[in-house]
Amino acid sequence: MNKMKRLFAVITIASLGILLNSCGKQKPVEEKILPYTIYQKELPNGLKVATVEYDSPGIAAFYAVVRVGSRDEVEPGKTGFAHFFEHMMFRGTEKYPKDKYDVVLKSIGASANANTWLDRTVYHMTGNATMLDKMFELESDRFMNLKYSEGDFKAEAGAVKGEYTKNSSNPMEALDEAMNDTAFTSHTYKHTTMGFFKDVVDMPNQYQYSLEFFKRFYRPEYTTLLVIGDVKHADVEKLAEQYYGKWEKGNFVTNVSPEPPQTQTRYCHIQNPGFPPVVQLNFKGPAYTDTNTDVFALDIISYALFSERSELYKKLVVKEQKVRRFNGGAFFTRDPYLFSINATLVNAADMQYVKDEIMNALEAVKTQKLDSMLLTETKSNLKYSFAMGMSSPDAIAENLAYFTWLTGDPESLNRCYAMYEKVSAEDLNKAATKYFDKMALTIATISPEATSPFAGGTPIDKPKL
Amino acid sequence: MKIKFLFITLLLSSIVSLAQEVVELKTTASNLIVIKLMFRNGSISDPKGKEGLTELTASLITEGGTKDLTSTQIKDKVYPWAAEFGSSVDKEVSVFTFIVHKDFLTPFYEIVKGLMLTPSFTEEDFKRVKSNQQNYVDQVIRSSSDEEYSKKALEDFLFKGTNYQHMVEGTSEGVKNITLDDVKNHYKNYFTRGNVMIGIAGNYTPEFLNTLKADVNQLSNTAVVLPLAGKAAMPDGIQVEIVAKDNALGSAIFTGFPMDITRSNDEFAALMVANSWLGEHRKSYSHLYQKIREARSMNYGDYSYIEWYDNGGSNMLPVTGVPRWSNYFSIWIRPVQTAKGLKAQYPELGKINVGHAHFALRMAIHEMDKLINDGMTKEDFELTRTFLRSYCKLYAQTPQKQLGFLMDSKFYGRKNYLSELDALLAKVTLDDVNNAMKKYWQTKNMCVTIVTDKTEAEPLAKSLKSNLASPMSYSNVLKSALPKEVLEEDKSIENYPLNVKSVSIVNSADTFR
Repeated sequence: MNKMKRLFAVITIASLGILLNSCGKQKPVEEKILPYTIYQKELPNGLKVATVEYDSPGIAAFYAVVRVGSRDEVEPGKTGFAHFFEHMMFRGTEKYPKDKYDVVLKSIGASANANTWLDRTVYHMTGNATMLDKMFELESDRFMNLKYSEGDFKAEAGAVKGEYTKNSSNPMEALDEAMNDTAFTSHTYKHTTMGFFKDVVDMPNQYQYSLEFFKRFYRPEYTTLLVIGDVKHADVEKLAEQYYGKWEKGNFVTNVSPEPPQTQTRYCHIQNPGFPPVVQLNFKGPAYTDTNTDVFALDIISYALFSERSELYKKLVVKEQKVRRFNGGAFFTRDPYLFSINATLVNAADMQYVKDEIMNALEAVKTQKLDSMLLTETKSNLKYSFAMGMSSPDAIAENLAYFTWLTGDPESLNRCYAMYEKVSAEDLNKAATKYFDKMALTIATISPEATSPFAGGTPIDKPKL
Repeated sequence: MKIKFLFITLLLSSIVSLAQEVVELKTTASNLIVIKLMFRNGSISDPKGKEGLTELTASLITEGGTKDLTSTQIKDKVYPWAAEFGSSVDKEVSVFTFIVHKDFLTPFYEIVKGLMLTPSFTEEDFKRVKSNQQNYVDQVIRSSSDEEYSKKALEDFLFKGTNYQHMVEGTSEGVKNITLDDVKNHYKNYFTRGNVMIGIAGNYTPEFLNTLKADVNQLSNTAVVLPLAGKAAMPDGIQVEIVAKDNALGSAIFTGFPMDITRSNDEFAALMVANSWLGEHRKSYSHLYQKIREARSMNYGDYSYIEWYDNGGSNMLPVTGVPRWSNYFSIWIRPVQTAKGLKAQYPELGKINVGHAHFALRMAIHEMDKLINDGMTKEDFELTRTFLRSYCKLYAQTPQKQLGFLMDSKFYGRKNYLSELDALLAKVTLDDVNNAMKKYWQTKNMCVTIVTDKTEAEPLAKSLKSNLASPMSYSNVLKSALPKEVLEEDKSIENYPLNVKSVSIVNSADTFR
């Protein structure tokens, strides 16, 4: 059991803030989170390329960030498709059919994989920097010339079902699925990235749709290349021109239904006598933007109120020992999503008490001024967490990828930190007042009982101040 | 007289200091300081009836307080620094890791020192930490990830009767029996100055290292008698244990047999090439992956291992701090479909009794048999070796990982495993690889655990025990799309004889008691 002490941000982006220092010989760039230049270039077809020259002898990370995720699954019956398509991207091209692709990839000695979430699909390959040309050739080929048979398509669908199957043994997955389905009515955040199981089972029948999906989203204007490590930006840009220059621009724009305001508390519940009880409070939150402080204020609140430094942790986890752990925070997403607090309980009988304690703490932050030392220390925590994490090309690439899919611009990482610094105690009051609305709340629970202890007409108690 | 006494004391201290095992990784470019203390006692040191004691002791050291600070005060102090610290216990070692930005090394080190030398071991902290560990063995392991569950269940099965049998976290009864006095005694008797390896990475000063070494020498000086690592007996035939639980959507499979080789042996490199081809972890060029997932659409992935791979569901690259002298080979088949699930998904499969577990197991063992018998081809050998020589460089990209690999190297009597491995891979031959497989691998004797749905358990047990045919049950939509060669090969696999000698069904509630 590996139990490295973890700070609070489990769901939210792992760490944000300043990269004070890291393993690198480069001269720090002043006044930016990332002490390295992000060299950016956009090709005429809309493909963006960002390079960070980083001292990792012989190693380079090559990331292709595509701004398509389960958010873009607007048609009924197609949930989970962005993730499924991520799998299909490994099924080969005419030049490099699957077998040949594997041989070449193996010869590079790279660690390569991909992942999909609400707003993005990221393909990554980390390996021998001297093979950068081959990485470009392989990646550009499949992005421009993907070709798979209907048989391969149907076979890959089983692997996705296998992924759903292995995930399903964790009740938190079921809770996540139920919670999103409850919290959202029209926006595509209603379904998880894995999709509804019925749609996953139906995937083998969607071959034609997959061709359409590729045409829509696997286009240069949706894609940013991030290359980090033992490379020169001029070489990277030259390779990008060489291998991606002929990629044809598309024109598709996803029309996602906006989510109407939530006007009543909602509930969902998973019965499971063999799993630790869980109470999760999900408020509707803002979309990520680095032009106002809302999302950063909410993130700071989540640390200040629920991390191991918080008064509630000291009371409920350490002293009373009614809660095993808290996690959650403000999600950074393209469209308005959620602010979530998750508490794992010792006894299901304490659900009402724990929920009230959380609600009281959230309510208090609407009007009370947060201790200035705690605010300062939280900002420091964010900065140093980030600095502690930046010790490999992958770590830098993953952070830049996050801001790339959020905004299309990796420089948003630097602006993000500037916004954290700007957050004042008053900003916390304002954000809390704006977002901690009990009518915009979805309470998700797991317990041995058949129904939610909060549903069934039981009104939410007015929080005690 | 007094001076002489002092002199002798200093001399003794110096001798002890000289005897300390220290692994240094000076990295001037890094502003992080990483300290690791690896104690050569893991869960195999747990007393009988108190299984989980080493884990609980290590957890309480890092999750509790010190003589000067409560656990809460420590959390308050480290919060602005974002310092990380924690413990990690495996079968044979316990590792404490402390990471901090150099800006805060001095105040953070006071906490490190307090935690390691003067842990407070309060009743309040003990109750909290023990409750979480009890909850892990009672509920979490059974209900969070069936594939992780199948791995822990296999070790429980394969190492039955040895000190390797129980989970690091212990057993339900074992954890229940542990008292705070047990923890205090275990700390004094096993977390000692003679039983520790110091590791440090970063831009630290020689003075700091001297302080660290001197402080580590303040640990208990109790002489430790470490138990030998329990060796699993070679199973007689294929022994299957099916763990039956409610509402499992899939069948999670893990198999293994004891293997008398570790990283300490130069032949390990040859075996690594063979294993990489057969089942490189989380890679699409794993042969098992290609046969079971890619060609047949049966699950999310299929891999093989020649040493313990901690938390493979989350880790793409191997972790450090889990070195073991008692080794085994294993195959990981990620959850495949059950009959109940397939029947609900496809009306045309309404009459099947057994899902895909039996076929998947046959397929994996068939492919391994074929590899042992036929050997690798020259082409595959060269490609796989080239891959590994490059890929292993990704294992240790951060100072923390580099330090971890160096400390594990010492455990195995090596200086720098990763660089030595590269040299071994450079000179290994195809014959070495094929001979190593014949020497260390076989498929007639192994333990298998399958975590599955209650409705699948009985029919699957019958099918395995009687070596019944296990034809693949594809949905019509998939079957119509599969190449003829795949369907033909299926015919030869469905009756492939497995040397199954016993099959038992265990209720999930009865595991890890």
